[in-house]
Amino acid sequence: MTPIIHVNNLRKTYKVYKNHKGYLGLLKNLFNRQFDLIHAVNGISFDIQPGELVGYIGPNGAGKSTTIKMLTGLLVPTAGDLRVDGVIPWKERKNYVKNIGAVFGQRTTLWWDLPISDSFALLKDIYEIPDQTHKANLNLFREILELDPFMEVPVRALSLGQRMRADLCAAFLHNPKLVFLDEPTIGLDVVAKQRIREFIQFINAEKHTTIVLTTHDIIDIAKLCERVMIIDLGKILYDGPLETLLTTFGGRRILSVEFAEFYPEPSLEEAEILQRDGSTVVYSFERKKVSASKLIHQLSEQYRISDLEVRDQPIEDTIREIYEKQLLYNHPYDKKNPSS
Amino acid sequence: MHHIKILRRLLHQQIKSQRQYPLPFILEILSSAIILGFYFFAFALILQRFGQIGGWTIGEVAFIWGISEFSFGTMDMLFSGFDYDAFGPLIRKGQFDQLLLRPINITLQVFGSRLVLRRLGKMLEGLIIFIYGISMLNIDWTVGKLLYIPILIISQVLFFGSLFIIGATTTFWTMERLEILNIFTYGGSEIMSYPMHIFPRPIRLIFTYLVPAIFMSYFPAVYILDKPDPLNAPGIVSFLAPFVASIMLWLALRFWHFGIRNYQSSGS
Repeated sequence: MTPIIHVNNLRKTYKVYKNHKGYLGLLKNLFNRQFDLIHAVNGISFDIQPGELVGYIGPNGAGKSTTIKMLTGLLVPTAGDLRVDGVIPWKERKNYVKNIGAVFGQRTTLWWDLPISDSFALLKDIYEIPDQTHKANLNLFREILELDPFMEVPVRALSLGQRMRADLCAAFLHNPKLVFLDEPTIGLDVVAKQRIREFIQFINAEKHTTIVLTTHDIIDIAKLCERVMIIDLGKILYDGPLETLLTTFGGRRILSVEFAEFYPEPSLEEAEILQRDGSTVVYSFERKKVSASKLIHQLSEQYRISDLEVRDQPIEDTIREIYEKQLLYNHPYDKKNPSS
Repeated sequence: MHHIKILRRLLHQQIKSQRQYPLPFILEILSSAIILGFYFFAFALILQRFGQIGGWTIGEVAFIWGISEFSFGTMDMLFSGFDYDAFGPLIRKGQFDQLLLRPINITLQVFGSRLVLRRLGKMLEGLIIFIYGISMLNIDWTVGKLLYIPILIISQVLFFGSLFIIGATTTFWTMERLEILNIFTYGGSEIMSYPMHIFPRPIRLIFTYLVPAIFMSYFPAVYILDKPDPLNAPGIVSFLAPFVASIMLWLALRFWHFGIRNYQSSGS
């Protein structure tokens, strides 16, 4: 199968000008501008097949948005190959954007003062969507996203969750082959997040739309994506199933113990104390190194325990640990991008 | 064709959202026409004491004043999207990216992004002053003069519009509005309301060679009103308005597209 997105050694380097200070500096700026080169995207390569639902994650400033901007044709790459559906996005902007959709969670693509039904009608003209398709899609999306109660409300009067649902509907109306979703669940409550995830899953399964999802909410990824790409400092550090990542790095478990009385230092050799609150102490330990029963045994020999709980470390924490401790660096997964 | 249809729909939506409350809307237009009209009224009162300025009567000044106000008002309405008070935030808030994601010509979308109907007030004011001017004068009308007036108005609209496009383009680099550009837009429209030979030579030179406003108002008026030209320019300069405006627009659009390309390669 030919990939729908082909990226090879893609780079984007920004020039950030240094400003001299003061009035004399202003003058100096005119003649002698010094700048730093920021390698926002520093040679990334990947292919995405039609119908895939890929999670693209990384800490703030890792190069996520720069990549998405290049993929959507908003930004011209500094170097490297980038082909989406056979075209170079920024070179054939109008032709290219006909076949893609995009939702940026932070801002709306809809017309601020128009009722969303008017926005959808305008989009029909803009994308020249055939009557049949438009009607069928709109009816379908209205039902799944439950848009009916606010179809005639202007965007400016919608809640964040309502607006996001309207934006999602707008992005898929013209049956795009490929859709970019940037933080589609940001700032939403659990119920609203779930509804949006179900919609994304449905569209991907039903219409085989290729979806690239960037998000800070790792639960989005866990629920939706079989494949995840992690970018940091402009390089792709991991590209594969989320499962593999979690079993490799997510071996940690949590042991939460409520002691019957207060002990000043109830420490364990093979577990670290994450937090303590009065007589309750939370330990974290590595599944591979020590078993929960051994730790509990050690504790109960020395202290009186009134209650305890063992659980897996939440996925968010695992991912945060991967970012913070830079666990993917110098790891075998790094072989895809030999470090410079 | 498709593009024109989209532009019509975008503008229609703009009009629809502004006409929601008809009475306040009409009052706003009338009050803005009256307020702007006071400038001319005050000027006319003073001019009455002297009878004329640089050999031009109140009626003659009203003629160019009215055309310039009407054209600027028309432009300010049609080119609202390029007004850098609106276009700056469009860039800063990333909404320009949203426009780039739609399969429609980008210039057309900026055109359709805003239409400030309030500017009808300035158009109305200009029209009244223009009609007042004509009624005061005994213009020796010919077919050529009658045809030239609408051409002149269109030329002025495009001329001011070009300045707006240039102003909008600078925001790709500065992100902020550049106050200095107001000298040419609002200043240009101001200058065009007076017979230009009354201004000191440096100012005239700026508005001849840097921003060729003199071809838009003073020289055409010399022809239509049969005024002597103390600047002794060749007769053809009276008819250059549409050409100068076309060249200005062409240059402005070149700069605009250059700005967009730069925006796409530098990011924001």
